[in-house]
Amino acid sequence: MGLINDNPENPFKEAIPGSPAFITSIDKVVNWARSNSLWPLTFGTSCCAIEVMMAAGAAHHDLARFGAEVARPSPRQADLLVIAGTIVKRMEPLLKTLYDQMAEPKYVIATGACAISGGPFIYDSYTTIRGAHEVIPVDVYVPGCPPRPEAFFYGLLTLQKMIIEGQTIAKPFERRKPVLSVLPPRIKLEQIRDELVKNLTARSVTDLNQNPKELGL
Amino acid sequence: MVTLNDRISCHTPNQDGTTTQEYFINMGPQHPSTHGVLRLILKMDGETVNDIIPVLGYIHRGIEKKAEAVGYRQQVHLTDRLDYLCALMNNWAVSAAIEKALNLEVNDRIQTVRTIIAELQRIQSHQLWWGVFGMDLGAFTPFLYGFRDREKITEIFEKTMGARLTMNYFQPGGMMYDIHPDFVKDIKEFIKYFRPILKEYEDLFSGNIIVQERLKNVGIIDAQTALAYGATGPVLRASGMPLDLRKMQPYGAYSKVNFTVPVGTVGDSWDRYQVRIQEMYQSLLIIEQLIDNIPDGPHMTMKYAAKIKPPAGRYYTQMETARGIFGTFFVSDGNDRPYRMHFRTPNFNNLWSILKMAPGGRVADLVAILSSIDLVVPDMDR
Ligand code: SF4
Repeated sequence: MGLINDNPENPFKEAIPGSPAFITSIDKVVNWARSNSLWPLTFGTSCCAIEVMMAAGAAHHDLARFGAEVARPSPRQADLLVIAGTIVKRMEPLLKTLYDQMAEPKYVIATGACAISGGPFIYDSYTTIRGAHEVIPVDVYVPGCPPRPEAFFYGLLTLQKMIIEGQTIAKPFERRKPVLSVLPPRIKLEQIRDELVKNLTARSVTDLNQNPKELGL
Repeated sequence: MVTLNDRISCHTPNQDGTTTQEYFINMGPQHPSTHGVLRLILKMDGETVNDIIPVLGYIHRGIEKKAEAVGYRQQVHLTDRLDYLCALMNNWAVSAAIEKALNLEVNDRIQTVRTIIAELQRIQSHQLWWGVFGMDLGAFTPFLYGFRDREKITEIFEKTMGARLTMNYFQPGGMMYDIHPDFVKDIKEFIKYFRPILKEYEDLFSGNIIVQERLKNVGIIDAQTALAYGATGPVLRASGMPLDLRKMQPYGAYSKVNFTVPVGTVGDSWDRYQVRIQEMYQSLLIIEQLIDNIPDGPHMTMKYAAKIKPPAGRYYTQMETARGIFGTFFVSDGNDRPYRMHFRTPNFNNLWSILKMAPGGRVADLVAILSSIDLVVPDMDR
């Protein structure tokens, strides 16, 4: 956990006064806001970074639909660390530093086999760290080598769900257990797209299926 | 000889005898414009870069050592992860090396399809470079354009190979699967779509006066120095040396097609930019000449699961990827695993040319120069 977190004397850890019902409703608003405005850190070490770039930056997949497109090069301004690529021994202390520098509350998605377990380099490599969780805590694992942009989105939606359900301001730094966000077997691309659309429709005020002609476009 | 100790001393006298305090700045490994985890230590005098000390190893995965523990068929999968933007060309180089060791001739269909796919990937790689190059210079639009068009090629690849980035498609002896029935149609559509777009790229970006001012006469390297540093690919060709293995030692189907090798004159960032843009036109030309007459034949000339045991000896094969010469050297002792595997990767050698390009320039130019060399860091560290 982060620096503040490990301090038992931490004043922020005290319970917040107020009735439980009041806190719960505030939690809802705060978590809704947090889950929809994740600011990812641009951090990629190898191949997976390209697919995350395709997912995040490019117009075709467009991360902006989930409110997570404001990629920041500085860890101080980011709250989502996407570990895209292999972590080797030499990078380990730097990854730890990057994580510590990020502001709370912070979330970590490990994309790709390398960040989960060492991936193709799990055997016979003398430098690879076997999974990012050996260095920092991870919230969501997205498997793949590299994961498709859809799989990455699936992981992001999982994280958003975790944030919405998980945190309460009464216990600010409590984390849920990490989850593996695997696309169900034999799922079709269309099904993923449908689910993304469904998710988006449920949470957005815009009608996604509107007829452009009616709007005069 | 200048030792590292001299290079890190902080007081270089100016020409007029006065001294200024030099200082060090650390750039990377977490830096948006080093394209990965490259670390550069810059010796600065005010805003001027006086010296650069690259520090590598932040993504050293021990691929060459790992290659000794896996069979010949699995080498292909490791080369995907070297220069992942030219994954297929790397696949081809290692497959060709193994084929050479086995004295295996592959048929015309395999050669033609390999050539087409390699050229497609060259375009794809240059598209990504173009987008990121724009972003490094402070323009966001190229990034969106480049990635939009890159996705089109990715989709063609995905149809045939079932993967988007690490394809493992070329195997020793042929290809993993035959091409998709839509392959030819899709590529023709892409060419029709992309030629005007390429023109648009140039209108949008090359014609911009800010871009020209930032690139022209910045980061000059002459052909002799570039050669001495071992630079290849567009970095070397931009300084006027037409070294392109596709022309000099034609492999695949390159001997059957007409194309020119674009070269620069000055060797500055602008020339490197132009060389890559022209290469995209040439790649389109090459694909156009081949796409209509892909010969018939099997797509694999070997049994899939056959264990490969090349006769003892040393083998080397090199190919021209989008970044330069990729070479595979291996020593076989007759077993099913190589005794030693070495990859000569273009990025490692291209990197050192910044030692000549950047000193004396401004730190903002360094970003443009780095981007114009088009580095892929895992390829350097392996
Ligand atoms: S999981 Fe695969 S694609 Fe991702 S970094 Fe590792 S080797 Fe590369």
